[in-house]
Amino acid sequence: MNHPIFLNKKSISVYFGLWILIAGIHFSIFYFFYGFPIEISMADSLTFNILFCIIGILMWYIVRYSIPDKTNRTNIFINHLTFLALILVIWNGLPYLFLNSLFGSFKPYRELLNISIPYRLISGTLFYALLGMAYYLIIYYSDLQEKVKTESRLRELLKESELNMLKSQINPHFLFNSLNSISSLTITNPEKARDMVIKLSDFLRYSVSTNISRFTTFQNELANIKRYLEIEKVRFGEKLQFEFILEGPCKDHKIPLMLLQPLFENAIKHGVYESTEQVKIEMDCKYIPGYLEIIIWNDFDPNAHARKGTGLGLKNIRERLRLLYKTDTLLRTSVEGTKFFVFLSLPNIEIKETID
Amino acid sequence: MILRAILIDDEQPARDVVKHYLKDFNEIEIIGEVADGFSGLKAIQELKPDLVFLDVQMPKLTGLELLELLDQPPLIIFSTAYDQYAIKAFEMNAIDYLLKPYSKERFTQAVQKAISQASNVNRPAQPVHNLVKTLDESPEFLQRIAVKSRHKVSVVPVEEIIFLEAEGDYVMLHTKDAKHLKEKTMKYFESHLDPGQYIRIHRSYIVNAKFIDRIEYYDKENYAVLMKNGAKLRASNTGYKILKQVLNM
Repeated sequence: MNHPIFLNKKSISVYFGLWILIAGIHFSIFYFFYGFPIEISMADSLTFNILFCIIGILMWYIVRYSIPDKTNRTNIFINHLTFLALILVIWNGLPYLFLNSLFGSFKPYRELLNISIPYRLISGTLFYALLGMAYYLIIYYSDLQEKVKTESRLRELLKESELNMLKSQINPHFLFNSLNSISSLTITNPEKARDMVIKLSDFLRYSVSTNISRFTTFQNELANIKRYLEIEKVRFGEKLQFEFILEGPCKDHKIPLMLLQPLFENAIKHGVYESTEQVKIEMDCKYIPGYLEIIIWNDFDPNAHARKGTGLGLKNIRERLRLLYKTDTLLRTSVEGTKFFVFLSLPNIEIKETID
Repeated sequence: MILRAILIDDEQPARDVVKHYLKDFNEIEIIGEVADGFSGLKAIQELKPDLVFLDVQMPKLTGLELLELLDQPPLIIFSTAYDQYAIKAFEMNAIDYLLKPYSKERFTQAVQKAISQASNVNRPAQPVHNLVKTLDESPEFLQRIAVKSRHKVSVVPVEEIIFLEAEGDYVMLHTKDAKHLKEKTMKYFESHLDPGQYIRIHRSYIVNAKFIDRIEYYDKENYAVLMKNGAKLRASNTGYKILKQVLNM
């Protein structure tokens, strides 16, 4: 954070204006009230006030690096007492020596210099306290603003992703084509039609239950993906193949709800929808202590010139991972020949809220 | 009279429904069944069916792109699961269209319409073409263009087009390796390509800004646009103004 006094012209003029006002009052008391000569009144006022004006500017750095939290309150308090003592000594000592050497021969002033020490100590403490408080207020206010800003951005993102999730979940092409398949199966294979209605219902139930900030077990997510792929398999038959390999205790790992779904949807959209050949979607899932490593890959035709996707699927997942795990490096994609790869590594995190 | 029909749909269950519904129609004989756009095009050209049941969303070549490539389209009954633009367009004109899943009654209606159209000797091929036209008015810009030469059909991504040139009633699409003739107007392309990238610099030219190499004087008063493939295209005054605007010169 920058020095608040030097933020802009206004803050500079307010700070120096205040000191000019204080110096003016100081001068008036000496000149008009006590009747000291003009040069002594001037010198006293300027020396003390210019010095504190400079100290006041430097005080920012004391405050800036003494932000209290729960653990260090006493430390901060001791810090401030130390600095206050130091500042009072400097602020009284230097002008005293300086002014005494200049005007020490003038007895009333010499006496005043001695008598006024307690008052100057009190006013120095007051200045320190007021300025310190002002600095703390400025810091808290700007922190608060920053916090409000971040929070509203987070909320915005969350809403945005939620909306995108909804859009991608209930992909109308998928839904109506599946319904059409069911309509067809009622003629050719009623058993299978009923089976598909149940799968589609389960899939939709899982989808609408989604709150994107929630987590579920990998097992749950996998079951839903399987339902999804089985529904698509009814439509595409042998053209769609899939195979999952799980190594280690993957099943209970907590992962964000509906995180994998858009990846498989992409694989279907760019692989199966755009191909006349057989397309295989594969997933390799490995549990490495602390991490769940997932690789998903599928065949695709690089020359298909498919309608460009909006890229929302991947962007959405990245954004969610960033919000949930606070890091950017968990998702990676690559193309090798006619295969498209997605690499995910999901760290273990403490989850309070999961759903079954 | 018997109508010879082809089914084009990439999903087996979807074709099963049509076949099942058609069992009750003695007037219709299924002569072919294919699962993608290219095979569909080939089947139509070889078998010359009277009626085609055509799905819109298919790999490689969509039903709409396929229809564009036919010189003498047969009767077409479209089917689609969901297409936000198509639905609107379908409402305006069609020989018929079916939204999946559809009932037998709805299907029967469509087929009867086709039968009565076919028995009308001077059957106008108009409706289907109208349908394609209205679909063209969708607000999305083109991303690919299906073209056909004597031997084959290809799909050209618009990104790869260097410039488009007017050729009578056709437009020549110039790409790095080839030229393709497409039966469309310049006006059509002007309104269906992203104007931020495809700039009409002349009555006869639309250039892809991505492939502009430089701009220099053509003669004292006119400018020429040099493309990265070496083509030198004259810009009209208006065209040059638009070009300056788009390229922020």
